Amino acid sequence: MSAPLLAVSDLAVRFVTRDGNTTGLDGVSLEVGQGEIVGLVGETGCGKTLTGLSILGLLPRSAQVARGSIRLEGRELLGLLDGELRRIRGSSVGMVFQNPASAFNPVFRLGTQMRMALAAHERLPKAEAEARIRETLAEVGLPEADRVLRAYPHQLSGGMLQRAMIAEALLCRPRLLIADEPTTALDVTIEAQILRLIRRLQETRGFSVLFITHDLGVVRAVSDRVVVLYAGRVAESATTATLFEEPEHPYTRGLIAAVPHAAARRKEALASIPGTVPADVGSVEGCAFAPRCPIAVDRCHLEQALVRDVGSGHLAACHLAGRGAIL
Amino acid sequence: MTVEVLRPAAITPRAGLVRRFRRSVLSDPLALTGLIVIGLLVVLAVLGPWIAPYPDQGEGQSNVPARMLAPSLEHPFGTDGLGRDMLSRVIFGARPALAVSLLVVGLAILIGVPLGALAGYRRGRLDAVIMRITDLFLAFPPLLLAMAIVAALGPGLEHAALALAISWWPWYARLARGTALSLRERAFVEAARSMGVGDLAILRRHVVPNSLAPILVQATIDIGTVILAAGSLAFLGLGASPPAPDWGLMVADGRTFILDQWWLSAFPGLAIFVAVLAFNLVGDLLLDLLDPRGTR
Repeated sequence: MSAPLLAVSDLAVRFVTRDGNTTGLDGVSLEVGQGEIVGLVGETGCGKTLTGLSILGLLPRSAQVARGSIRLEGRELLGLLDGELRRIRGSSVGMVFQNPASAFNPVFRLGTQMRMALAAHERLPKAEAEARIRETLAEVGLPEADRVLRAYPHQLSGGMLQRAMIAEALLCRPRLLIADEPTTALDVTIEAQILRLIRRLQETRGFSVLFITHDLGVVRAVSDRVVVLYAGRVAESATTATLFEEPEHPYTRGLIAAVPHAAARRKEALASIPGTVPADVGSVEGCAFAPRCPIAVDRCHLEQALVRDVGSGHLAACHLAGRGAIL
Repeated sequence: MTVEVLRPAAITPRAGLVRRFRRSVLSDPLALTGLIVIGLLVVLAVLGPWIAPYPDQGEGQSNVPARMLAPSLEHPFGTDGLGRDMLSRVIFGARPALAVSLLVVGLAILIGVPLGALAGYRRGRLDAVIMRITDLFLAFPPLLLAMAIVAALGPGLEHAALALAISWWPWYARLARGTALSLRERAFVEAARSMGVGDLAILRRHVVPNSLAPILVQATIDIGTVILAAGSLAFLGLGASPPAPDWGLMVADGRTFILDQWWLSAFPGLAIFVAVLAFNLVGDLLLDLLDPRGTR
């Protein structure tokens, strides 16, 4: 694989509030290669969305990047001026949001909004812009461009809106698409269609995708590689096949066991991971997962487990990983 | 048995606005009256010179022999101290009243809404500065502030309008800031930012257009209030100057004769009253229409 399109390394983000600082991300590293779909999974509040927003430079006012680096095609994004970042947003990096119904402005027709999105980056003659928009809509499976462009957001279904959202994100032909829970608000049949669409677009257009989701089933269906986040740190990272077949981190195993399909076969109550994510990983000594971990040993409570290679690119942050015998 | 019908209005707030408008107007006689009165005012303002029985007197031409006549068939509203037909005067008064209030509210919106939207969207220091400036203005009763400004600029209709606009814009800044504060958290604003749309474009295309509903309601009610305020300034000699057909001025002119020649003040005063009431009623109607989940 050539140089990664996106390389996040040792990214730390903290929230500065009047009551003191809390840690949002604590040394997250991940890479997205050219033409690769990388799934970013974890529970609510583990820093998935924060990672996505950091890449776009859209962190909320209270959040600060404490250290680390984010490189897109070799170019450092942290520390860029607002104007430079704005040129990257939408043109090099596109973003698809969770709830398509609220991601469009309710007072404008879709056509108006898509023209505005395109005009934010490219000054095209009217006819050309129009052609680009129609072409992109057809690509995302909305061939009835006239109807879609004339519609207000409330007149279209969630699935159609999400397709339109994807089209809007792809208008300026970005190299990287960040999809933040793009199917969570949709029902399962539509979800499958959208996932297939993203895969197909990725193949035909060759962009890369950072796919943020809490749903392991979705990750398995779309991604080439998976990064599991826990409490603002990377817990495990591996190719999709490896991660699902030989998970090394007990947190990953817990997540997989908690997927309804996997549990139903055993005729047991649905598995869950006891406890909750620590509110502030910065204050945790040792492994952040240790208090919830079924196999934690003394060392886990005292010493943070660093991410290490447990075999051919399979990364895990667990003292016990790579020693199958113990488990 | 009557079955309660699910009102589609409550589900899709923007669908069938025209139909809902028609239905609410018809089911609300007060609002209907307000609308009719406003329509009448507009007709009078536009066609006044052709409707008024004595157009030249409406403009200020005196007719001293006929002074101080009580209301009669020939002069339904009576005549004033210079013999001018009061009905014509009141009809001529509609145009400046509407023009001034539209100008004032328009100016106030033009100044207040962009500033308020900017403050609410950007937050932080800029927000604090803009809001403290509005506090400065809001600390004075609006009419008092306007009087002070007119006193400084010198009396006159234009100065009165300017003064009222200056004392009115902070209300719109507050209103726009409030809606901008909630809009900035909406997904479509974040989506626009993720597409690299600049702050100013987001304000112009996303924040301001989505704040228009409450501003429209406020503006409608304010047009009435400004008619009253402009009338007050004129009454105090700080607005229009004679012989302009200004309602406030007419009320002021007639106040010394209020016991014997009551029609001098009563009819222009009634005109102000009816106009203010009409705009308030329609403002209420708009409030119900544009916010179907509102408390009413």
